Amino acid sequence: MQILRGNISKSAMLLFAAALFLTLVGILIIQSAMFAAPSQFEQNYFKRQMIWAVVAILLFMVVVAVPMRFYEVFAYVLFGLVVVLLLGLLMKGGGKAARWFNFGFFHLQVAEMAKIAVVFVLARYLTYSRRPPNSVRRFATVLILVAIPMLMVLKQPDLGTSLVFIAVLLTVFYWSGLPVMYLLFLITPAVSLIASSHWLSWLIFFVLVLALLQMIKPGTLFSIVTITVNLLSGMIMPFVWNRLQDYQKMRILVFLDPGRDPLGAGYQIIQSKVAIGSGGLWGKGYMAGTQTNLAFIPERHTDFVFSVIGEEFGFWGGLLVLLAFAGIILLGIRIAFKCRNKFSSLVVIGGVTILAFQLVVNVGMALGLMPVTGLPLPFVSYGGSSLLMSWMILGLMVNAELNWQEY
Amino acid sequence: MNTGGYSRALRANLLAGFLLTIIILLIVRMFYMQTFQHKAYLEVSEENRIRVVPEIAVRGRVFDRNGKLLIDNRPSYVVAAVPNEITNLDALSDKLSDLIGVPEERIRKKIRNSRFRRYEPVRLKRDAPFDVVCRIEEASDHYPGIVLQLDQSRNYPEHGSAAHLLGYLSEITEKELEKLRGKGFRSGSLMGRKGIERSYDHYLRGVDGTKYLEVTAEGKIVGQLNERAPIAPTPGFDLTLTIDDDLQLLGEALLGDSLSGAIVAMNPNTGGILAFVSQPSFDANLFTGPLSTEDWNRLSTDQRHPLLNRCIQATYPPGSIYKLIVAGAALESGTVTTETRFLACTGGYRYGNRVFRCHKLSGHGVLTLVDAIAASCDVYFYQLGRKLGLEKFAEYSRACGFGKQLGIDLNDEAAGLVPDVDYYNKRFGDGKWPKSLILNLSIGQGELLVTPLQMVSFFSALGNGGTMFRPHVLKGMKTAEGEISMDAEVIRKLPFSPENISILQRAAFEVVNGKHGTAHRAQVKGTIVAGKTGTAQNPHGNEHAWFCAYAPADNPKIAIACIVENAGHGGSVAAPIVAKMIEQYLRSIGIIQDIPQPVAPAKGIVNANP
Repeated sequence: MQILRGNISKSAMLLFAAALFLTLVGILIIQSAMFAAPSQFEQNYFKRQMIWAVVAILLFMVVVAVPMRFYEVFAYVLFGLVVVLLLGLLMKGGGKAARWFNFGFFHLQVAEMAKIAVVFVLARYLTYSRRPPNSVRRFATVLILVAIPMLMVLKQPDLGTSLVFIAVLLTVFYWSGLPVMYLLFLITPAVSLIASSHWLSWLIFFVLVLALLQMIKPGTLFSIVTITVNLLSGMIMPFVWNRLQDYQKMRILVFLDPGRDPLGAGYQIIQSKVAIGSGGLWGKGYMAGTQTNLAFIPERHTDFVFSVIGEEFGFWGGLLVLLAFAGIILLGIRIAFKCRNKFSSLVVIGGVTILAFQLVVNVGMALGLMPVTGLPLPFVSYGGSSLLMSWMILGLMVNAELNWQEY
Repeated sequence: MNTGGYSRALRANLLAGFLLTIIILLIVRMFYMQTFQHKAYLEVSEENRIRVVPEIAVRGRVFDRNGKLLIDNRPSYVVAAVPNEITNLDALSDKLSDLIGVPEERIRKKIRNSRFRRYEPVRLKRDAPFDVVCRIEEASDHYPGIVLQLDQSRNYPEHGSAAHLLGYLSEITEKELEKLRGKGFRSGSLMGRKGIERSYDHYLRGVDGTKYLEVTAEGKIVGQLNERAPIAPTPGFDLTLTIDDDLQLLGEALLGDSLSGAIVAMNPNTGGILAFVSQPSFDANLFTGPLSTEDWNRLSTDQRHPLLNRCIQATYPPGSIYKLIVAGAALESGTVTTETRFLACTGGYRYGNRVFRCHKLSGHGVLTLVDAIAASCDVYFYQLGRKLGLEKFAEYSRACGFGKQLGIDLNDEAAGLVPDVDYYNKRFGDGKWPKSLILNLSIGQGELLVTPLQMVSFFSALGNGGTMFRPHVLKGMKTAEGEISMDAEVIRKLPFSPENISILQRAAFEVVNGKHGTAHRAQVKGTIVAGKTGTAQNPHGNEHAWFCAYAPADNPKIAIACIVENAGHGGSVAAPIVAKMIEQYLRSIGIIQDIPQPVAPAKGIVNANP
């Protein structure tokens, strides 16, 4: 309850300032992106975003005020609730793309909630395992905890968000002290998946895995599981590829070669790069981005919001935004480092991971470095759910910072 | 907390370092794009938003020598579709296909191709017929998304008049566009095809203007671009041709639709073409909208080859007309004199073990050179040809302009063929060809091929005393700076001395007016015509009838070459056509007075030796 006593640290102030800056940039950019939109409704997006910003900051204050202990206690309850909601979405959509519950004034994006719930539940589980989760049983439990919401989100289908879960899982494992070698093994199935596109690359990869196992000797069960999983993922590669939605396949192919379909899926990447590149050092000026105003950038208020920043505010504008994010991420890691409470520390690292992953994927996509995945830029992109989630993570960071001495 | 061998601080630093590295990578990439690649990206973004809309220049009009309009522009409509407003593409293309005569699949493809510029009209049919325009206009509710755009189309003379001379326009092909892109041409540009539309395309076309519009990603026009001023189009030049349209129409009427052939009339003193008739013809107006497959098939598979420009593209054996050239060569080379006589014509000539026939089976008897030309005696020329030899024959033929292009200001001019020793060596092997070939060549048969244009050019030169001008159809053009007139250009002198030319002129006079002449039907009251008939053997059917002439004989104002395919003897079919054209033309320029004159006795004319 440090905040009520007016004892606010410098780090907390910096965090708040950076997040507020990003939120304000977001509102400005949304106005610029949508003022030329055809409908009044779209033109007013920035006003809605302002209201959501106020709500988000109120939520932030609540999150800061509530003791960490509370989240720890209710982690499984929240997790259960999210799973039920995701299940509800799946039933509602009949296995098809349903991403939100419509509350009239608000579309509740359950996936945003799920990210935080997974962070809580992972932190809670790992807090009470005295040793790193390097036994197969604990390892498996954690995997299942993450896999349940992840697969349900994947089914929506929302590939980007389900990748967030994997990023959170890896980082939290890392933070909780899992040897780096084990982390390597954790990602081998994914590598196996990619390597199996050719039998030779997969053979080389598999020999490497066996050599690693020989070196660190992690135990029989672990070795067997690793080998099995790698064999399986290598074999199911064509199967997975066939199960991907056409637009997902196209996105991956187009990412590898945007010229493949310059009017179709490659269009988004090309136009985004053109917007940023044409912005130059100083940008074309607020509301003066032609790529933006003339609708060449798709989803310019959500997924491609960074393209608008790059076009209208140029390199310096983009740099400021990235520096603000870098500040939040570095402060977050420092908070997680100095926190005496293990749950708080893990929660903060999980939150930082969500922000960092979405930042890198979103900006990387706008710069043409990543395939189009449709992840919002935290604090900046249009959307209440995303904004609430971002500020909630910030609230958890500030909460941990203000109470770092508590065990 | 167990740190698994790594200290907590190390883990924190590693994680921070990892994430910071990625963020720095993003910054570096962004910096690279916004500095080193900035110019290229800025260009693309400008291209994106700026729609360069061509303002097609008004194409120049074409007039005949008397200022009569031959090719005009008329307003027309383009049927276009705005993809954004189309509710049901399949239903629309189904309804539209029959109406505008464009296959459904093509309509669908064209519209689908522009799915990202949903507000930009896609042109479906150029120069839509008026009734189609009316039906679309009246029932616009039935055609959602279809709009009519105002355009310009060419208006060609009716009934295919002068179609080969004038040519037509059609859309640029993809191959041409590859070469010409950026030089004022774009997809959908109209290109001159055939005739003067092609050869003077550059002048007729003008320079297209440009409007710069700002557009959204979907092709919706935001407005005129402020930073770039529009460039107004420069209209094409109006052309005046040397053609006399009245004469042209007369020639077309005389040849008619049923006959195939060509008539070229020329002003002997300039080389200007007065009439350029090639029958059968085609209606150039068919080409103004995209030509339907049906029409194209009909035109291209027609046994009578209406698309062939017979005046300059078709080559024929010249037949007896060539006796004038052979005679000139013989005189000039000293092979014969006017008084040279050969063995009497008995209707045939034995050479080796073959008899070469004369067209007059009863024989001409012993003739002088002039009489032999006038009577067109083959036996005389067999003997003359033997004496002349192939080398001299080829040399003088070339010097008279045969066997190569004359350089008329139209494309696709054929060269014809003057066979020589090399030609026969190549064809039959060195020296393995019969020496009797020269016999056939001497009477204008065999491998020798000429175009009607070469014939009229030769007769022009013969008539004016030996000067050959470059044949041309352009008289002048109206440029922005003022009128430009084409000068007559001398391309060669006939290789004959003035004395020999007058001998040949006399022979030509005798053909029409002499006792033994073969072309009495070419006589025209009020003037004196000189000419020569010919009958070209045709391995594919009946012989072609030739007649070439100039008039008035003493100071020619017009020369005409006329060939009528498969019509038999030149004197009976071609000569009357030429006579009528000469009469009308000389009347129109005042050489033959309209006041009825007392009929001059035929004898008087014959005695009026030119």
